Amino acid sequence: MALRWLMRKLDHVTLRDKSYRFLFEPGPPDEVVSIDCETTGLDPSRDEIISVAAIKIRGDRILASETFQAVVRPRVAIAAEAIKVHGLREIDVCNARPMIEIMPDLLRFIGGRPLIGYYIDFDIAMLNNDVAELLGIHLPNPRIEVSGIYYERKYGDAPPGTQIDLTFANILRDLNLPLFNQHDAFSDALMTAMIYVNLKDYVARDIRIARPRIKPSSDFHGM
Amino acid sequence: MSVILDNATAPFDRLTPEEAESLRGAMDIAYFRPNETIVAEGAAPEGLYIVIKGCIEEREQGELVGLLGPKDFFDSRAVVQGVGVSGFTAREETLCALAPRADVLRLINSNPRFGAFFYSDISRKLEALAQKDESSQIESMMRARVRDLYLMPAAIIDSFQSIASAGRIMRDIDCNALLVRDGERTGIVTGMNLSKAVVLKGMTIEEPVKSLAQFDLVTVEPDDFVSQVLLLMTKYNKRRIVVKEGDLYVGILEDINVLSFFAGNSQLVVGRIDRASTLTELSAAARQIAEQVRPLRRQGVKFEVVAEIISDLNRRLFAKLFDLLCPPEMRDKACLIVMGSEGRGEQTIRTDQDNGLILSEPVDEAALNRFREQFSAALAEFGFPPCPGHVMVDNPLWSRTIAEYMSDFRSWTTTPDEQSSMNIAIFFDAEAVAGDASLLARAKKDLVEKIANERVCLARFAKAIEAFEPPIGLFNTLKTAEGEGDALDLKKGGIFPIVHGVRSLAIEQGLEETNTFKRLAKLAELGMIKEDFARDLARALDYLMTIRLDAQIDAAKSASLLKPATLTSMDRDLLRDSFQIVKQLRELVRRRFNLHMF
Repeated sequence: MALRWLMRKLDHVTLRDKSYRFLFEPGPPDEVVSIDCETTGLDPSRDEIISVAAIKIRGDRILASETFQAVVRPRVAIAAEAIKVHGLREIDVCNARPMIEIMPDLLRFIGGRPLIGYYIDFDIAMLNNDVAELLGIHLPNPRIEVSGIYYERKYGDAPPGTQIDLTFANILRDLNLPLFNQHDAFSDALMTAMIYVNLKDYVARDIRIARPRIKPSSDFHGM
Repeated sequence: MSVILDNATAPFDRLTPEEAESLRGAMDIAYFRPNETIVAEGAAPEGLYIVIKGCIEEREQGELVGLLGPKDFFDSRAVVQGVGVSGFTAREETLCALAPRADVLRLINSNPRFGAFFYSDISRKLEALAQKDESSQIESMMRARVRDLYLMPAAIIDSFQSIASAGRIMRDIDCNALLVRDGERTGIVTGMNLSKAVVLKGMTIEEPVKSLAQFDLVTVEPDDFVSQVLLLMTKYNKRRIVVKEGDLYVGILEDINVLSFFAGNSQLVVGRIDRASTLTELSAAARQIAEQVRPLRRQGVKFEVVAEIISDLNRRLFAKLFDLLCPPEMRDKACLIVMGSEGRGEQTIRTDQDNGLILSEPVDEAALNRFREQFSAALAEFGFPPCPGHVMVDNPLWSRTIAEYMSDFRSWTTTPDEQSSMNIAIFFDAEAVAGDASLLARAKKDLVEKIANERVCLARFAKAIEAFEPPIGLFNTLKTAEGEGDALDLKKGGIFPIVHGVRSLAIEQGLEETNTFKRLAKLAELGMIKEDFARDLARALDYLMTIRLDAQIDAAKSASLLKPATLTSMDRDLLRDSFQIVKQLRELVRRRFNLHMF
């Protein structure tokens, strides 16, 4: 954490293009941005973003009408495994703009707002490749990990040895939210936003998520 | 496709893909914590809310009128009018997609089909649904196969057999066509061919049928579609198609069979009842009555009309049975009545038999007992289940002299118990089907007068409308939409309150009508209830009875119990509207009879 603070200070000084100083100023109060990227693979040092979606959240309202969505033309080939996940093929991205051209618009959209996501560190690591190339810095925005809030609400007081399940589908199920079209950047960002507003309220009202006492021994689906 | 807006559900299915996309782009998602007000009563709504998760309470003047769950939306009327009657509050953590009012209004103006949904009141919404129903019914019929139809027997004669013997066979097998074998080829000869040959061509009845037969048979297989039969009949201008399975002739399909499959053949059943001269013949006709319901519904015929056709057939059947069984000396002294739902003409699927006998004077006890037993036993054999409350001719309490009935009325109107109210309700719905109808008219007049003289009696009677809580509370199941066994009781929650509320008003006015729809029309005519309210009530009752009937046709175990989770959001919307109307009627009856005094 201290390291990230130091990096932020350093980045602020080394920011090449001063017109991006707004990234270091706090965004409008009570606003965050839910962000999700689909990528060519899972290695931030090698893989690239092929689609990105960002949705603003103001208080309890998800501003689905104010979103940023883009398909990206990557410089590397898309891994076959990744195509299976998000369904974007070479042909779908070949007419898109490269990330370096998209990034300025995205940065203006998110401004200094905190970024929320599911495994947000991965998305930010992917974005940082291009931010570094463009501005010589890392994204300075505060980050909020929804699975972290979920963990605290559900397992924060769990006895040792409790089985922990932080899968996206499981979080949605616990919050009674619809699972929808996963691995489409916009849908993922939207579902993450729904998880966030719901969990934020749980934290505010100090509501905990119940853990099942015993694991159900069988699944009655289809019976 | 989208979590924000599911354009597969009404009314969004009426949007073009571009319109849906533009609306989607304008929508936000709002989160509400428990007890948070989403729209205050009388406030201007921001737009149309579509529930993504959670449960929402709809209240009017603080009173809960409905619960909404995922995929439900609100408040369409408020969006159009700019201000709502109901208030909406989150019951639990709730997420709603919100379509801004300006965008919804723009689509209402540019897309008439979408707009119609928002402007229509409950009646018109129901009609739109009925039409959709009808097209899907016909579609399913077109997929029916020949083997599903009633076929005439395929009797084969030789071509050298005489016109006379062909005519006799036709009469014996009750079929107007025979197949004719002539060496290798097979043809068909009809009753009309035989008549024309004799009358118009002057042939004698001894001549062989060979020259009359037509050998250009059109055949289908049992697995062929009914729609194909219709096409073949039109194409070859044939009234009869022969059904063949391999080399075997399995039947003859007449255009009338196809038509009756589409329309039911109630007219044929009427003839069969009228012609029956034995219990066995009547029994066959009785069973056919029950078979009418399904094709009528499949045709998309409204409940009210189905019920009218079926009760007309049932009454003919009862009258015929009375004719066959009643000893001549009793005939002029008795009136056969049907009561309860049968009396109101609202029974379609047979649930029970409610019938009785009114005698003008005491008759021979032995003959009466014989008639009672035979009559009820015959009906049971015809497939009418015995009445659980034993309101049947073979119960001496329900087959007695008018004087005895009248003395019963005194105790019914003065004894403040449930049984008395039930008896009044059952008897007030009575309709005479055979014998001396004036006996029933006199008895009912006496009952109405006795009720009018007992001031508290009618209020006590009407009180039953409050017996069951509004079923909207049961909509709790909607919040998970997984149907955890909680079901909605259509009968207790909707059908009974309407029937009973209307019946209470009808008694007060001494109406002769027994049918709820007719009572409603009469009450509106008398100015007792507003005309559009009467119309809404009739539509709501018709809707509730129709979904119950469809469930009964599907042979559900308890067709009155309905799981809201199994309904489409359109149906849930209509159900809510219907129950709101029921609520208004309860209010009206409560005020009319000062029920709060009890």
